[in-house]
Order: sequence, then structure tokens, then C-alpha cells
Amino acid sequence: MRKTLVCVICPNGCHVEAEVQERGGRLEVLEVTGALCKKGERWVRQEVVEPLRTISSSVLVEGGDFPLVSVRTDSPIPLDSIFRVMDEVKRARVRAPVSIGQVIISNPAGTSCNIIATRMVNPA
Amino acid sequence: MKIKKAKRDVVVVGGGPAGLAAAVSAKKEGAPQVLLIERGRVLGGILNQCIHDGFGLHRFKQALSGPEYAQRFIDDLESLSIDVMLNTMVLSLDGERRLLVSSKDGLMEIEAGAVVLAMGCRERTAGALMLPGSRPTGVYTAGVAQTLINLQNIMVGQEAVILGSGDIGLIMARRLTLEGAKVKGVYEILPYASGLPRNIKQCLEDYQIPLHLATTVVELHGSSRLTGVTVSRVDEARRPVPGTEEFIPCDTLLLSVGLIPENELSREAGVQIDPTTGGAVVDDTLMTTVPGIFSCGNVLQVHDVVDDVSEEAESAGAHAARYAMGRMSPADTYVQLRAGKGIRYLLPQKVSGQMDFVLSARVTEPMENKALVLRDQNGKGILRKKKIRLHPAVMVRVKVDRDRLKGANRIEMGVE
Amino acid sequence: MVEAALGSQFDCLVIGAGVVGNAIARELSRFRLRVGVVEKELDVGMGTSARNSGVLHSGIHYTPGTLRAELNVEGNSMMEELCRQLKVKIDYIGKLTVAGHEEEIPTLYRLKEQGEANGVPGLEILKPEGMEKLQPGVNGLMALYSPSTGIICPYTFTIALAENAHQNGVSFFLGQEVTGIQKTESGFLVSTRQEKRFSTKVLINSAGLYSDRIARLAGINDYKIYPCRGEYLVLDKRLGHHLSTLVYPAPHKGKAGLGIHLTKTVDGNILVGPSNEYIDSPENWATTGHIMEKLREEGEGLLPSLTTSDIIRSFAGVRPKQNPPEIGGFKDFVIEAREDVRGFINLVGIESPGLTCSPAIATMVRDMVADLLPMEKREDFQPERSGRAKYFHELPAEERADLIGQDKDWGEVICRCEHITKKELIEAIQNPLGVRSISGLKFRARVMMGRCQGGFCLPRIVEILEKEFGYRPEDFFSYKEGSNFFTGYVRQPG
Repeated sequence: MRKTLVCVICPNGCHVEAEVQERGGRLEVLEVTGALCKKGERWVRQEVVEPLRTISSSVLVEGGDFPLVSVRTDSPIPLDSIFRVMDEVKRARVRAPVSIGQVIISNPAGTSCNIIATRMVNPA
Repeated sequence: MKIKKAKRDVVVVGGGPAGLAAAVSAKKEGAPQVLLIERGRVLGGILNQCIHDGFGLHRFKQALSGPEYAQRFIDDLESLSIDVMLNTMVLSLDGERRLLVSSKDGLMEIEAGAVVLAMGCRERTAGALMLPGSRPTGVYTAGVAQTLINLQNIMVGQEAVILGSGDIGLIMARRLTLEGAKVKGVYEILPYASGLPRNIKQCLEDYQIPLHLATTVVELHGSSRLTGVTVSRVDEARRPVPGTEEFIPCDTLLLSVGLIPENELSREAGVQIDPTTGGAVVDDTLMTTVPGIFSCGNVLQVHDVVDDVSEEAESAGAHAARYAMGRMSPADTYVQLRAGKGIRYLLPQKVSGQMDFVLSARVTEPMENKALVLRDQNGKGILRKKKIRLHPAVMVRVKVDRDRLKGANRIEMGVE
Repeated sequence: MVEAALGSQFDCLVIGAGVVGNAIARELSRFRLRVGVVEKELDVGMGTSARNSGVLHSGIHYTPGTLRAELNVEGNSMMEELCRQLKVKIDYIGKLTVAGHEEEIPTLYRLKEQGEANGVPGLEILKPEGMEKLQPGVNGLMALYSPSTGIICPYTFTIALAENAHQNGVSFFLGQEVTGIQKTESGFLVSTRQEKRFSTKVLINSAGLYSDRIARLAGINDYKIYPCRGEYLVLDKRLGHHLSTLVYPAPHKGKAGLGIHLTKTVDGNILVGPSNEYIDSPENWATTGHIMEKLREEGEGLLPSLTTSDIIRSFAGVRPKQNPPEIGGFKDFVIEAREDVRGFINLVGIESPGLTCSPAIATMVRDMVADLLPMEKREDFQPERSGRAKYFHELPAEERADLIGQDKDWGEVICRCEHITKKELIEAIQNPLGVRSISGLKFRARVMMGRCQGGFCLPRIVEILEKEFGYRPEDFFSYKEGSNFFTGYVRQPG
């Protein structure tokens, strides 16, 4: 079975083809063509088996010079866990000051990532 | 209160990604007094609201968010003790590099040895699209919605249609979806998407948001808040095809239909504007047609990747510093650059031939398995780059060695 | 909302806070009268008054002896002093009515003769050399020059009239739609959809597009208004210098509008329009694809350097016409003190040149009121509106520096396109009529009116209103109920 994908690793957006076969209920990638880089090839092998994404959002800040702090996952998470992670992000709140890289939530929705702050928020 | 007066070697107008990189680079190049002027209350410009990741892949080999990317430059700026004026607006600039700026501290006249223009761009609005209807609320440019949602904690709507497949629109489609709003679809008048392929994939396809090509919004409904839009297919000349209209109920329309370099200040200073890029005509030092005034970032040409902006701005900042310190000898003659077949524009528009430079270009339409070829006035090939894919949404950047320009007085780039 | 200081009993109640209603209210505020204005919209000037070319006509187009002709010439001559008092910008930039073909030349002479009969000053027939001096690049064989044609910002003027009237004790009731008029012994009892009641001795119908309906509520069934829409495109200021005077084509027979033309505004934009189209609803302010396309084509014809990115906005106004579409053209204004309904002063069909006529209409109505009520001049009438005619950025640099020294908010530029300062925004937020709409801020401070259409300043305005005036997301609306900007917070605070 051939799968065609657009690589999301970089702005090149390579159109990649993967030769895939199912073995014992799991998908296995036999061959990848069309990727301009090694990273892209690795991404395709992962994408076919279990797509991973980095997501970004905002967390409510109390007493800050901005009402929200931007956050992201510090490592990619399974695509199908995104909405569960978002539920926790929406409930979270943090008190200013907030620094870049500060962990706001650990292992949201049972994933192995952290939700980290991506901007500085000073006290108001 | 008196109008204050000041002199600076290099004044950078705009504290977004271009301005930050230009200021840092000018200082590193040796300009003693560099001043960065920003009209917002924080540095970083548009990066502050770009909370998604994907910035700095080339430069830092990491997928940073916009604010993180900006912070790296802000840290450099601080460690180099570069002067910054926040909440300060440049009211005017003349051809002699005199600026009048306004802030809570008063008016100040600044004489600059060199000026770097880094004002960025603004979004095309509903007005420019002449969208018929009663001008209801709920129609936002994607960037304004992004500011309100990401920086000001204000939700703009619950059921959205997005017109235009520019990157900000795609990013906002995902953002709205993650925030619980329903995105009904993205409509693009062109037969291909304007945003980067990766954004089509991870912002639309991941969330099953339909992308309708060769389709546009032809009418807005509602006289108070938007109640829906009529969309229609368009023909090859982008004219609506009668009978293909469809009503889409929604309370929000986001526009991602193009960016316009913000060159009002440049025009005032007498800088010549290229009608195709909407930005200044520059040479290989990124100097405009007004001596000592340089331009970089989205005010020069609309970029799709911030890493390129930083690179371009570093070049402009360094050259501005050299100009201010009297270390730049203007070229006597220039090699003119021209867009050939399949190329929408080339930048810089002219080069001195005295230095290596980066050529930026955009193609006119999507193409596959082509070569970008630079030829001189006699048709002699100077440079040839094979490209598997060319897309108008993806800027082409090509490094050109000065040695290759020997004997040329006019160069044309075409797709072959 | 400005509540009545004197309760809900008035000597004179004006229905409709358009330019005419406000001019009447201000004129009446010179006297010891209790004056009120009832308006169905949430701000003044939201109908025809704010949606037009902003031209002060000279009066060449109207048949001698008509009200329109007389009031136009009189109103035009009153404007300069009035605008000085009200701190409103005015510019007599003059107008060329151009004959493009031989057969249009007699029209110019006819207009000149007519204008002179109306008392229009300074009319001159110009040959191409003379035309070129006034408007470089103008095409045409001959032109009629009217130096008393001017431009004014129609909503600024309408708001200024109301604010000055309010300053002099007039009560404004915004968001009150009149739905009942009952004749009483001493005058009228007026009730609104919002369940307010007013009693008044004299009732003045200045309801513009709804003047026929208000007249009917008072039992007068003589009139019908046919709404006629005119669409405009607003062009970037960049092009403003192309126009040094107004240039209109010579009028053609049978056309009700003045023909599509370019008009400069006092703020430097150019308007292309208006079109001319009868519509069903008095409030159908939609712009349409086919008309805008036509305006764009005409605009490009008149202004070759125009590009689509120079089009920053479209809008439409609606004229209250008295003639049905099959007749078209103009019918003279109705301004009458009704004999059958004593105390009812009726103004119907005040379309173009209503803006120019407004001060003269006000004095005419004042005289009608004087026949009904004893009028005693107030010693303390204050004709000068507080405020400034010019925007901050239009002041000399030294003066601006001084002002920033007095108040730092002058130094903070909120709107990058029009260089509007935070101080100007704050003053608009604290407007004397208590208007809370965002369109009210646009019309008062000119924020969101520039080429980026609020892309830069809307988020800043939102921030200031939230932080300094306690607004919540649901408090932001454009101009009427339901025109909310936002649906709530992204993350609920608290």
C-alpha cells in the first residue's frame, strides 16, 4: 500500500511517498521516497505509524502585564491526544511572573510532554 | 516643552524580527550608537502573537514559537546595550535621515547617520476587497484576530469562515478549532493554496477543515453581526461563476488575503517603491534609492519564513553601520536585475557586483522539476539551480558569488 | 444616555438627531426653552447625515424661489462662522462643473444664470487654461467655477451641533424610537418603543428617512418617502493631493443624483460616488458588487494612478426622496408649521443639500416656533463648542510638544495611519453625549478610519477600554444592538 504525505518538518513541504504494509495489526514502513532530508524520512516513518504534533496555546495569567501566557508542548504529542491536552490547558492558570521555559503542566492527559511557557510575563 | 534633539549613528525603525536583527547586527558591525524605535509596548512585533511553533528551524535548528524566537534577539540586544525606545512612533522621516518621533516623553528630532526601515507590513482589509454587504461586525483580518485571541484574551467568534489560504489564516483556523470554535472552511480564490504546504497539512487536514480552491466570498450577510457569507466558485479570470453560490452561516469571517508592506514613511522620505514587491527598490547592500536609508524584512518584501527575515535584516543592519561610519563606498555602476519567465519579482533590483549577495525571488505559479537560471545580457548562463518544486508561497533564496557577475550589466532570472 | 435634567416635559421636542434636528436643537438652545431630542439610534447622525459626500453646495443647481435654493445659499453663507464656533474643519475648495461635450456648454451658462438668480457669489465660466490652474490635468471644454462650494466632515459637524446644543442644556435621548404621538390639550404626548414618554408643547419632525412615518403618527398622511441609495468608495489619503478643487460632470437630464464624481474630504481622502438607486428599506446601507465595480472603473478613469489597494472602505447613504422612482428628480423640501395639527412642525424630504441648508433650516424652524411659544433669549448661551477643530497631528510641532508636556497621553499615538493620539481617543470615549459605541469613537476620534481600518488600533482601543474604563468583551459593539465585536474571553478570568 502506498501513502502520499506532505512533510510538515520544514517550509519545503516535501510531497513524500511511503510504501507501507500491515503486519500483525501494526503498520510498517518499507520505503520512503521524495523526502529531501533525513529528518523528513524519519518524520514519515513516524507519521504513518502514529502522527505526532507540537501544539501551542495560551494559559490564563493572574496578576500579569499580559492576560495570557503563550505555551507549547516541549515535545510532540500524539495527534489524537490534542483535544484532551487542550482541556487541561484551558483549565490551567498561572501567577505572574512567568519565565520562558517554565513548566506550566506536567504530563497533560497522560502524555509524556510538559506544557511550557514560551514568553515572559511580568507582574502587572 | 521643547522638542528634544538627538543624533545617532544608526536608527532602526521597528522592533519586530527585522528591526531586532538589524539593530544587533549594526552594533556588532561597530556602530557606536544604535537606536531601535518601536511603537508597541514590547519588542518582537508580530512574533508576540505568533505563538505556534516552527520558527528558527534554519537558524537555531529548533522549532521555536514566535515569542521564544524574538527573545533570543532581545537577549542579544540587551547584552549589547542597544538603546530602545518603546511606545514611540516615528511621525516623519526625510531624505536627509531626520526623524521626528513622538512618545509620552515628548517630541524628539533625531539625526541619523543611517536609517534601517523595518516597519513590517499590514494586512489587506475587507475594504480593499470591496466585499458587498452592510459592513456587519465579525469580519476581521486574521492577524487582528490573532492579536485579540493570543495576546488580549478576547474571543472573536464561534463559527468562522476563512477567506484566503495565507499562512496566518491557516494558523488561525487551527487556533480557533483548538479553542472550541467551528471553522466551516477555508476559501481560496486561486486554484492553489497561498500558505505553506506544512500549514495546509497540520492546520487544516489534521482537523478535517475543508479547503475550497477557486472559490471566494461574494457577499456578507447581516447588518449588525455577521450572519453568514455567500461563497461562489470562480473561473480562470477569478470572476464568480453564476449558479455556484452557496450560503454558509457563520458569525465570523477571517481574512487572510495578502500583506502590504507598510511604506508610508519610506515614501515620505523619497524612497522609490517597486510596484511588484510593494517594498523599496534596493541594491545588494539593501540600501534604498535614498542614500543611507536601508530596508529589510516585510517592509521590503513579504517573507514566509522569519529565519530569512533575520538574515536579510542582519545584512541591512551591517551595511547601515558601515554607511554611518563612512566605511561604505557607493558603487559607480550597477548591474540591473530583471524578472524573466515564470518569475514574479527579484530582489535586490540592482547590485554593485562588489560583494556576494542573496537573491530573493518568487515564481508566478506552482511548478515542478524546473531550473532557476540566471543569464546575463547576452543570454550567457551565470547560475543554474535545479528545483523539484517551485511555489509562489515559498520564496526562493539563492546565494550569488560576485565573481559570477563579471562582465554582466544586466541579469535576468527565469524558470527553464 | 443623557437623561433629561428637567424631567420629561419639554417646550420643544425634536424627533431625529441628524444634522437638521441637531441644528434646530442648537438654535433653540439660544432661548429659555426646555428642548429635547429623541433619536432611535444609539448615536447622533447615524442616518443620512453621516453618509454623504460632505459637500457644502453653492446653490447653482436649484430652481430660484424654491426652499432648497434659498436655504442653500443662506446656509452656505452661515457655515464659516458656525464651523469656527463649533470647532469643525471647513474648506471652501470650490467646484468646477465641467462640460465635456459641446452640447453641455449651454448647461453651464444656464447654471450660472440660475446660480446668480439664487444669489450664489463669484460664479465664473472658465476656459481650459483657467480650469487647469484650479485643477491640473482636468479634462473638458469649459467649466463653471463656484468658489463658495466647500467641504466639511458631515458626522463631525452633526456631532458638534449636538454637543454644543447639549452644552447649552438640550437633553438627548438616544436609543429611543418614537412609536406613538398623541395630541393633548397643551401639546403632544410622545411615546417610544423603549417605553419612555415625553410631553412637549411643540413637536418637530426631523426624522429624515422616517419623516413620513412620524408625520403619519401625528395623523398627517400627505407624504411618502422613497429611499434612494448612494454607494461610495473611500480612497487612501495617498491620492488626496490629486484633487485641489471638486470636479463634477455637467448634469444630464432626468438623473436624480449629481453623477458619479470624486470628492475630497477634509481629512484628505477621496470619495468615489455616489451611485443612485431606489431601494425598499430606508436602512439598507449595503454596498453591492456591481455598483462598487462601476465606481472602481469610474474612479480609475478619473484618477489613473488609483490601484485596488488604495480602496480602503465602501459605504452607502440613503436619500429621503419624495418622488417615486418613475418620476425621479428632486422635489422641494417640506418645512411647515401644520395648521391642522397645531404645534407640529414638519420637515419632510430633506435630502441634498440638507447638510448645507441645515443652519438656515434651523433659523426658519426657530421662527416657526416663535409663532407658537414665547421666546426669550438666554444671556448665557455659549456658541463655542469646547474642543479643537484640528487633529493633534495637524498642529505645528512646537504646539504638539507643549501639549505633550501638559498631558503625556498626547504623546502616545494609538492610530498609526491617521496619527491619532491616546488623548484624542480618551476624549472621544468621554464624549459629552455618553455614546458608548465603537463607531462613536470612529466618528469622534477618527480611529479605525485609516488605511489599515483598525488593524493596528482596534486591539489598542480594546485594551484601553478594558483597563481604563472597565469594558468586558461583550461591551464592545459597533453602532447598534447586536453588532457586538466579540463573543467573550478565551480564558475566563477570575
